[in-house]
Amino acid sequence: MFEKEIEDFIEKVRTRRDFLKMSGKGLAGITLTASVMNLIGCTKEEPTSSEVPTGAAAFVIPKGLLVAQPNRCTGCQRCEMVCTVKNDGKIHPYISRVKIGRSYNYGTKMNDNYRFENGYFGNFIMSPETCHQCEDAKCAAACPQKAITQSEATGAWTVDEEKCIGCGACTQACPWNMPTIDPEDGKSTKCILCGECADNCITGALSIIPWEKLEAMLLRRGYRLS
Amino acid sequence: MANVTGWTGKLLRVNLTNGNISVEDSMEYNKDLVGGAGLGYKVIFDEVPQGTKALDEANKVVFAVGPLTGTTAPCSGRTNITALGPTNPYDAIVDSHMGGNFGAWMKFAGYDAIIIEGASKSPVWLKIEDDEVSIEDASGLWGKGVIDTTHEINKIMGKEACVAAIGPAGEKMKNLASIVNTVNHSAGGHGGVLGAKKLKAIGVKGTQAVHIAEGKNQDWLDLNEFMMTDIIGSNNQHVVPSTPQSWAEYHSAGSRWTAQTALFWGAANPPVETGVCPAGDKNKVGLRTQKAIFDLGPVAEERTIKMGGCYSCPIRCQSNLHVPELEKYGLTPYATSTCINFSSPGTAMVNGYSDEDPKGEVALITKCLGSRLADDYGIWSNYGQLPRDFRYAYNSGKLKEVLPEEEYNSIDWSLLEAGDPGWMLEFYNNLIADGEFSHLLDGPYWLDKRWNLGKEYWDGAGNNVWSKMAFPKHHSNEAGAQVGVLVNIMFNRDPNSHTHMNFIGAGLPIELLKEIAGEVWGSPDALDAPKNYTPMNEYKAKFAKWSIDRNFLHDSITLCNWVWPMTVSPQKSRNYRGDTALESKFYSIATGIDMSEEDLDLQAERITNLHRAATIKEMNTIDMRNEHDTIPNWVFDVDPDMKPFTEGTVKLDRDDMQLALTMLYKEYGWDEKTGAPTRAALERVGLKYVADELESLNLLP
Repeated sequence: MFEKEIEDFIEKVRTRRDFLKMSGKGLAGITLTASVMNLIGCTKEEPTSSEVPTGAAAFVIPKGLLVAQPNRCTGCQRCEMVCTVKNDGKIHPYISRVKIGRSYNYGTKMNDNYRFENGYFGNFIMSPETCHQCEDAKCAAACPQKAITQSEATGAWTVDEEKCIGCGACTQACPWNMPTIDPEDGKSTKCILCGECADNCITGALSIIPWEKLEAMLLRRGYRLS
Repeated sequence: MANVTGWTGKLLRVNLTNGNISVEDSMEYNKDLVGGAGLGYKVIFDEVPQGTKALDEANKVVFAVGPLTGTTAPCSGRTNITALGPTNPYDAIVDSHMGGNFGAWMKFAGYDAIIIEGASKSPVWLKIEDDEVSIEDASGLWGKGVIDTTHEINKIMGKEACVAAIGPAGEKMKNLASIVNTVNHSAGGHGGVLGAKKLKAIGVKGTQAVHIAEGKNQDWLDLNEFMMTDIIGSNNQHVVPSTPQSWAEYHSAGSRWTAQTALFWGAANPPVETGVCPAGDKNKVGLRTQKAIFDLGPVAEERTIKMGGCYSCPIRCQSNLHVPELEKYGLTPYATSTCINFSSPGTAMVNGYSDEDPKGEVALITKCLGSRLADDYGIWSNYGQLPRDFRYAYNSGKLKEVLPEEEYNSIDWSLLEAGDPGWMLEFYNNLIADGEFSHLLDGPYWLDKRWNLGKEYWDGAGNNVWSKMAFPKHHSNEAGAQVGVLVNIMFNRDPNSHTHMNFIGAGLPIELLKEIAGEVWGSPDALDAPKNYTPMNEYKAKFAKWSIDRNFLHDSITLCNWVWPMTVSPQKSRNYRGDTALESKFYSIATGIDMSEEDLDLQAERITNLHRAATIKEMNTIDMRNEHDTIPNWVFDVDPDMKPFTEGTVKLDRDDMQLALTMLYKEYGWDEKTGAPTRAALERVGLKYVADELESLNLLP
């Protein structure tokens, strides 16, 4: 069932992983359908109707697949804590590289229909916003100091703090306003795919599936990654 | 200001009479009193004149948090609110508490506390954005429910702002009014105090960090990991699953660790299986407590969208539900609450539910409807006493007697008789109307003065009223015999004190619990088996004191006392022992102050004593034994055909309980006759100035 979706997904993952190995360049996130989530062990139920996007997304990182699933996010905001303690030595949700607190109340947009839409004041749905690691990163293009480049090790668009002047062009340029200038040191912060958030997520709303495990899951269902 | 970590070092003082806003050094309070409740008690004791009433201009409302709030230590999201309380017969000092996001947001804006003093002549709200603090006109908000008020403020401040607001109940200065942040996180008993001050809401937004000690980031992450992997259990620190599971040596049907195979958040898209969540798996802690089925029965499973909760908490005890039936009643198809705020609306259904199932669909719809109305109107259930008072007045005929005929006839009693959820609208709408029915929001003491409820109201076992102090019991003699009673006498409202109950209900076999009790409080005799009680002994007094002191500590530092302390753990490899030094470990890394468990417990004891001293000052008596530490007759008179200390009853003995009081006073070093702190006791915990003040008022034994 849903062979095409699954094969499309595997092809995307394979391409991105090969690309990452070859050039150190990561590619944009993959949106996940219900059948794929079932395939990679994120849900037990086999989907029965035609594919509706779940809002879940996956990113290829050196360790494996970083998966974000909004249906599991409970809004505890611990991801923001571990991100900034690990990377900045303090608890500073405002500059967290994964963002959830800002969409806790009303989701990513507040409007008059808020009682029926995402967020705790509506349907309770909230999702950690992760950096999309865009192929053509607008933040990097906008930076006047060329301070944002792709890391050779991870493929993640990474801020070089020595070069950053805290102008905020990256924040404005990003379609999701993900990079944030730290008011304490005037430097931009953005996701570097360290994986700390996923490592500490209390429900697996953010999780990392290591390559070995992913390959084994696919093999059990008759698919190959490599 | 002091250069500190953990704390911000700053508090905001807002005078609504003259509009003055000032920033002060909070360390004057936090240094020796931790923060939160400790800070609040000092403000009230030092600054509010003896004889002040709760709704007077001279009362102050202290929103305060501690060094751990906002650090995202597990379960560190609570805000403590201290003020004189209007339900108390003496307007004595009480705390209310709320979870949600507000406490953390205060820290991110740069403040350990907000002191509200004076009163405004016209409705206002307080706007806090980092250093920019202003008093804003709230005339456009007055009359609105909590949700609309919050949304209007978010339109001004941005969607990220966290808002604490009162609803119509608080505006009308009702005693049973709450302050609510983030939809349903409500602090009960002070809504009317804000109403008297015409403070409609506080909106907070901040871009600042909460700092921990220099160079300690890895230690912080390691301590969090230790707690998440080896120590933390589920809601109420229940440490065994509710069903037999292969990883677990023990299980207990009453445990809140309800996660199991084929139990879902059924309304999630796609549904989330809670599954088996073994001890040691930190990525499944948030799945352990499927609270919806615990509170509302199996019918709640397919309606559970997710489990929500307070900032930083991995337990997630708030059931976020999809209830499309609510739209029929004019509400949205969503509801969220936990524990008493679900069960309490059900108590008002005197005639049960139309489908005759106490845990069925009609019950679920009714409880969701009631909780949404209560949270939007800002009504406090007084730990379920509000609907019990209604039941009593209805069943005894008192309600018909006191309501004017026109008002009585305007109420659609047929809904109540039919067990129709629509009764919730009648019930809550009449509570915020201006008729006689609304006096149910006065609370037991004032209600009795007005309606003359009679002896049976005070002495009836099912009515739960805790003696002339007029609050409802909260885990009393049915929770650890004398220990539960001693916890209940300490407070000026129903004690939000779960240290003892968490331990008693943890789910481990009684022999194991007694063993651990022996290690923590000196002897296995500190803990009786359920419904099989023994006479008082000094170890029970130690257990009670420890429970009380840790509760005051948690309200000060702040941590959620519904989960903390970590007296036990789910790890067999640890022999199920917890880590009672965890509060002090988190405190040390956050603040950079090397604080031992013993030293932090001394600070807690200091806070307990300050609460006691403030109460004595407000009651203007030192005879705490007879005036304050009173115990209702039903504790001793229930099960008339049984004797105390026999199996099958939770009844206690009057003389034994007086001995229990004496033993507790002895543990604190208080005067054994009156239960009032002596000068020596106060000086031992570093409160000499309090002893001096009490002496000047002739209130030292």
